Amino acid sequence: MSTHGIVLVARQEIRTRLRTGRWQILLAVWFGLVNGLALLFRISLESGSGSNVGWGSEAAVIMFGAVLMSVLVLTLMITPALSATTINGDRERGTLATLQVTRLTGAEIALGKLVASWGTGLVILGLALPSVFLPVIEGAITMGRFVVVVVVTGLLIGIVCALSQGWSALVARSITSMLLSYLTVFGLLVGTPIAFVLALPLTSQPAGDDHLSYRKDHPEYVWWLLAPNPLVVLADAAPTLPEPDERADEPDDPLGDIGRSVRDSRDPEFTGDDEKTLANAVWPYGLAFDLALASGAVWLSARRLRAPAHTLPKGIRVA
Amino acid sequence: MGEPNAVPRPEFEAPPPEPNAVPRQEPVGAGWPAPGAEHGIEARTVVRSFGAVPALRGLDLTVPYGQVTALVGPNGAGKTTLLLILATLLAPHAGQVRVAGFDLATHPEQARSALGWMPDTFGVYDQLTVGEYLEFFADAYRLPHDEKHRRIRGLLALVHLDDRLRQPVHGLSRGQKQRLGMARALIHKPRVLLLDEPASGLDPRSRVELRDLLRSLAADGVAVLVSSHILSELEEIADRVVLVDHGLTVGEHRMADLIASGPTGMGRARWRIRAQDDALAARLAARPGLGTISDLPGGAEVGPLTEDEAADLLAALVAEGVRVVAFGPVGSALESAYMAMTDERR
Repeated sequence: MSTHGIVLVARQEIRTRLRTGRWQILLAVWFGLVNGLALLFRISLESGSGSNVGWGSEAAVIMFGAVLMSVLVLTLMITPALSATTINGDRERGTLATLQVTRLTGAEIALGKLVASWGTGLVILGLALPSVFLPVIEGAITMGRFVVVVVVTGLLIGIVCALSQGWSALVARSITSMLLSYLTVFGLLVGTPIAFVLALPLTSQPAGDDHLSYRKDHPEYVWWLLAPNPLVVLADAAPTLPEPDERADEPDDPLGDIGRSVRDSRDPEFTGDDEKTLANAVWPYGLAFDLALASGAVWLSARRLRAPAHTLPKGIRVA
Repeated sequence: MGEPNAVPRPEFEAPPPEPNAVPRQEPVGAGWPAPGAEHGIEARTVVRSFGAVPALRGLDLTVPYGQVTALVGPNGAGKTTLLLILATLLAPHAGQVRVAGFDLATHPEQARSALGWMPDTFGVYDQLTVGEYLEFFADAYRLPHDEKHRRIRGLLALVHLDDRLRQPVHGLSRGQKQRLGMARALIHKPRVLLLDEPASGLDPRSRVELRDLLRSLAADGVAVLVSSHILSELEEIADRVVLVDHGLTVGEHRMADLIASGPTGMGRARWRIRAQDDALAARLAARPGLGTISDLPGGAEVGPLTEDEAADLLAALVAEGVRVVAFGPVGSALESAYMAMTDERR
């Protein structure tokens, strides 16, 4: 395996994709839509009647969290379109076998395709960033928090790219792999909280003494169901805001709120103040799990691209 | 060549070492030659099945350098499976395959550097230009940078696409794409060339050019293996013919021997008669033992007959005073051999 091969495949993927033409328009629409909506959101935050968001800094914090999470969700919805048909689509078009008979190895082809789709995903993320960067300019969000959050979002996009590519290596038809990829994204985003909510009652145990007995849920048994959720990983990984002055209570911060609540569920007895420490952090587990899944998917797609093939999945024609 | 009339017809259970078979390029079971040996492709008792369906059942194949070998057999005989195995895309379940001296089971990468492959259907990157397309594959084969552009220009001239260098691939016609695929297969100067139905979609001129190209590659020492159904064309291209059926080699012949033995050398052929006689068909129908008689404009077709039977018929017709203008076998030596092979199935 060599970088030469990976770069060659990635460049080829991007070049053939960009030439289809509509991408430029789609990216321009995306840029306008996301940033425009984010600004509208900000304006409505500050001028809405009955809003208790008085000062600009707090509005900026809310904007940062809410826009970033929306961008993550939206990008993850787009990502399967980037990579869910890269392998079986090439097979259907008959361009894969001519690649496999060259000196390119299966791993080079798999990684090259991943680099191309991940890179495209990062471009999509980058186009959404101007509105997220606004709170940083205003001074409401530190540069550190911005960088961490963007890096984690980029990683999560890469993870979904790898999973989608894994599906496209595994199943013969591109429509099936596309569907499975969307189900995977849906499972990560929506399935994990549903599983958590459904599992929570099963953890309930009698609590209290004999006279005053009641049942108490134990989220600390099932918190890990939430961990792989990309939103949870992002929110929990975001560094805490600097403590506001004494008069204010908790700052109204969407990322911080989610982070605090998942940490609560992991360790309800945790008595530290709000300061986040790695001791009760959830995101390392979630990110590690997601990365392990993604690595497995990359390994699988590299293996599936290796020639000569010993076994063929049903319905796959080599060339 | 000893017995031109002996078509090797092994029973379909074991690969044949038949005593009276047409001699092969090397004796079967002579042992495995050293790497870099004299043959471009050597396949021994190759077995491959898809699920419960056997595709290859112990097939043998030798493709010498400097010759064009034709792979001929009915649909489903295992030709494409064999070519996929030779192209290092598919692993055989049993048997040994060497391409350019490299064992495909252990050294597929080395074999790939020496191997050009042109599949029957293949996709092209529509968005690229012809030059970019070939450049990509030159890079994928790691051609040195200075050699790359010279090679691409040379190949495009060879397949008559040199004026299309900057045109997008999607603007090419089917035949032009086929020729582009040919250039792609040759980009890294392979010593072994595999072609699956290369002439499909080509116009008559391109076919002639393809024939000349393959001949000149063979003259340069390349081992060429062509699978095709167009037998008349193979007869002009190929030095050797390998007949396969039901996943087995049923015969290996030198084309010169086939042609020397004549169209009936491998059995019986149909004969076409042209005569200045409106009642020719009726006249023929009155004779026994002429097989199926079909009336044609200005003549008739009879057979299958051996050469002796045909000579008798001609003599008889002339004796009867029929003004025979033309009397000759239909089809070719290769066609007859093919028909004789596939006769068994029916």
